Amino acid sequence: MEWLGLAPSQLAWVGALAGAAVVGLYLLRQRRRRVLVPFAPLWARVLEERPSAKLFERLRRLLSLLLQLVLLGLLVVALGDPRPAGASRRGRTTVLLLDASASMSATDLPGGRAAAAREAARRIVRAMGPDDRMLVAQMDAEVTALTPLTDDSTALETAVTAYRPRDTGLDLSRALRFARDVLRGNAHGEVIVVGDGAYPPVAEDVSTDGSALRFVGVGRRGRNLGLTAFSARRYPLDRSRCEAMVELQSWSDRAESVVLTVSVDGAPIERARLRVEPGERVQRVIERLSGGGERLEARIALEDGSRDDLSVDDVAYATLPERRRARVLSVGEGNRYLEAALLLDEYLEVVDATAAQAPAALSQGRFDVVISDGAAVQVPPGVGWISLRPPPDGSPRPVEPGLFSAPAGGAIVFDRVDRRHPVTRFTSDLEEAHIGRVARYRLAPGDRVLGSGSAGPLLVAGERDGGRFVLFTFDVRESDVALLVSWPVMLINAIDWFSGEDGAFQSSYRTGTAWRMPVPVGEREATVETPSGRRVRVPVMEGRAVFFGTEAGFHRLHSGGSHTLVAGNLGDPDESACAPRATLSVGSTRATAPLPGRPGLRREWWVALLAAAALIVVAEWATWHRRVTV
Amino acid sequence: MGWLDWLRPKKKPAASEAELFDEAFQRKLEYLAVASRRLFAGRMRAERRTRIAGSGIEFADHRPYTPGDDLRALDWSVYGRTERLLVKRFEEEEDLTIAIVLDVSASMGFGGRARFDHARRLAAAMAYLSLSNLDRVTMVAVSTKVVRRLPPARGRGQIFKVFEFLRGLEPSGETALSEAGRTLGAELKRRGVAIVVSDLYDPAGFERGINALRYQKFEPMVIHVTDARDADPGARGDVLLVDTETGDGREVTLTPALVARFRDAHSHWRHEVEGFCKARRVAYAQADVEGALEEQVLNLFRRSGLVE
Repeated sequence: MEWLGLAPSQLAWVGALAGAAVVGLYLLRQRRRRVLVPFAPLWARVLEERPSAKLFERLRRLLSLLLQLVLLGLLVVALGDPRPAGASRRGRTTVLLLDASASMSATDLPGGRAAAAREAARRIVRAMGPDDRMLVAQMDAEVTALTPLTDDSTALETAVTAYRPRDTGLDLSRALRFARDVLRGNAHGEVIVVGDGAYPPVAEDVSTDGSALRFVGVGRRGRNLGLTAFSARRYPLDRSRCEAMVELQSWSDRAESVVLTVSVDGAPIERARLRVEPGERVQRVIERLSGGGERLEARIALEDGSRDDLSVDDVAYATLPERRRARVLSVGEGNRYLEAALLLDEYLEVVDATAAQAPAALSQGRFDVVISDGAAVQVPPGVGWISLRPPPDGSPRPVEPGLFSAPAGGAIVFDRVDRRHPVTRFTSDLEEAHIGRVARYRLAPGDRVLGSGSAGPLLVAGERDGGRFVLFTFDVRESDVALLVSWPVMLINAIDWFSGEDGAFQSSYRTGTAWRMPVPVGEREATVETPSGRRVRVPVMEGRAVFFGTEAGFHRLHSGGSHTLVAGNLGDPDESACAPRATLSVGSTRATAPLPGRPGLRREWWVALLAAAALIVVAEWATWHRRVTV
Repeated sequence: MGWLDWLRPKKKPAASEAELFDEAFQRKLEYLAVASRRLFAGRMRAERRTRIAGSGIEFADHRPYTPGDDLRALDWSVYGRTERLLVKRFEEEEDLTIAIVLDVSASMGFGGRARFDHARRLAAAMAYLSLSNLDRVTMVAVSTKVVRRLPPARGRGQIFKVFEFLRGLEPSGETALSEAGRTLGAELKRRGVAIVVSDLYDPAGFERGINALRYQKFEPMVIHVTDARDADPGARGDVLLVDTETGDGREVTLTPALVARFRDAHSHWRHEVEGFCKARRVAYAQADVEGALEEQVLNLFRRSGLVE
């Protein structure tokens, strides 16, 4: 006999505890009901006439205890789901993988491919043999088990009914690894994949490891054109405008004429007619778009009015970062290079002040950024700070006294530049700079050197008192840095970095991947509201909320009392190439058609055990109510 | 109130104290008279008759003359024909003392007030009939001892005192009917009929109570108030049977068989009571609390010889 439910040791514990409870209750003195009688002596006369009654009552109570223990025993054994020895080894163990990738939303079949997949899966479940067990899982970018390994066909069919495709690609390798783990140790294991078969090749090492691989294909054709990429960005030096890049591809077997429409906040701003040859990929960059909106949407439609087979990739979404005016306090004796660079960004509101005026200016107004040009300024906590060669005293990040001068006839140059940092992004000519004198700066914990030369750190970034800072260890007037393109770019990058307008802003994310979305400094948790209205609490790691996106469309990221828009797109050419395939191969293994289970009766003893328990309960109930056993 | 209410057994609503004796009930009782097997001498003439050689009107029979007899009672015409001295006897109507002994022990309040109310109505009916026949009526409420007593009274108008007496009673204590015999024997100079209205659940035995009345020269009549529910407590299983009067408990497993045995024992006990009364020529009648009281008074009592 085999135990497919609780293990015998667990059953022994359950039985012992429950049995002890039953016996304990039995031993407890029963509190009898009080029944008033008008004349007890008459009862005494009757009771004295039957001396053997007490013994009989004791025996009957003992019988009652035995019945309860038998009932308990039946239930405990049923929990173990006992089977005849070898029954589970004779039967097959099947992992039914339902393709839930975006291509299963295709409408080339009546009701869609998903409906056909459901029907095929139901047929497989109904063909199970009495000793077979099955686990239903849906596979897309991740694998989700919808049932445990069970022979309960009702539960399996319910899971099949609940299966829904999602707007993601498919990771067949992961699904097969999952199936292999489930089937490990099962002699008669098999994996049945139900899907359209339009999968990228799978490496040999993730094959089903000895288990049989079956495949049921669904789908009829794959006439599809899809948007495979859509992104937008603001111009770095003209934040009021943006440009968008759209990429579309055709998987149709004939040339198609499509109309591409780009909208901002629902208003069409660009409309183009495109002719796309079979298999052709077309990229379009739409320049000088008005950047006043926040939501960008690209949509393609066949010009002849017909619809392609997959609609999820006919629309793509992107967002533009909010552009807000930053207030900058520039403290110093006047620096034309600095003033000229700041004038390039019309979204800056710059207030000039001397070092003596700075405290009053800071107390009167709220500034997003303080730029100190050789001046010592006490920058309020949380405010961004750009320091151009700070003085040795009075600065939040003081330099050491004295200056390091370039050797005669030479100059100090940037030997190393860390361009992974947002501040140094797009600064390709920084190595061409020549610097005359440099202050020595002792790095503090958390500081990051963005550029350095023979004289030590030249450009440092970091965080202090809840705010970020960028520190130049030299005076731009003693260098030709101010003549480089990198100079205003670095300043604007720094201001953007302070205000969270990351140069690495992603206008859209791809579904089926982990999205790492920036949140305000200091936030520890965030909530994502999906297009379908689902709200998901997500963790924040290194200043970014991490979320596994499975829906295409605009999401809302709530954090710190505000929210930002995040766009998700399918953007997966493998999914857009939705033409079904009749066969499936994993490495050198070619999947075969599923086989029906061996017919026979299901030998599940727990049913009989529960029936016996029910019979005992019914008999006890009937005799009790007919006053036979009381 | 729910829709299942119609399934529930309907209980006879307990009568309020004011409704215990309504006018219709009183009118029905007016023409009834209490029967008596024996004739008692009374101080006052009444509708009850005793055969004495006296001043009665209706001739009864003769008896031989003995010295000391009133010579006016000699039947001279018989002497003329037969030369035998016989004295004429007349039936003289005299009043009768009727004591109504009402059991007010706790068992009379068992299962609600229906039993007690029924017993009080029976007692009131008997009192009314007696007063209507110009009998002298006294009432005694007894449980462990005589709880209350209504002095002898005569005349129909006294019925309201009877009602007043009955309304003020509450069932409590244990049954001790023999106390009633002792009290009546000590306080009543004239003997008469003692009507016992009780369930006869006397721990000392119902015989003692009836015999106590007999030994005090009363003619007992027993109205046995019965209730079918006494024979079946309704509950089954492991129970604690508690005596209503004594509070003594006894753990019992009530099975259908045991309840059937008890039902038989209860029936046997009732027959035992009836047999005891018959053997001693004590008028006996059962009055079930579920029966219509008027019918019981008019028919059941007539059949049992309690009323004419």
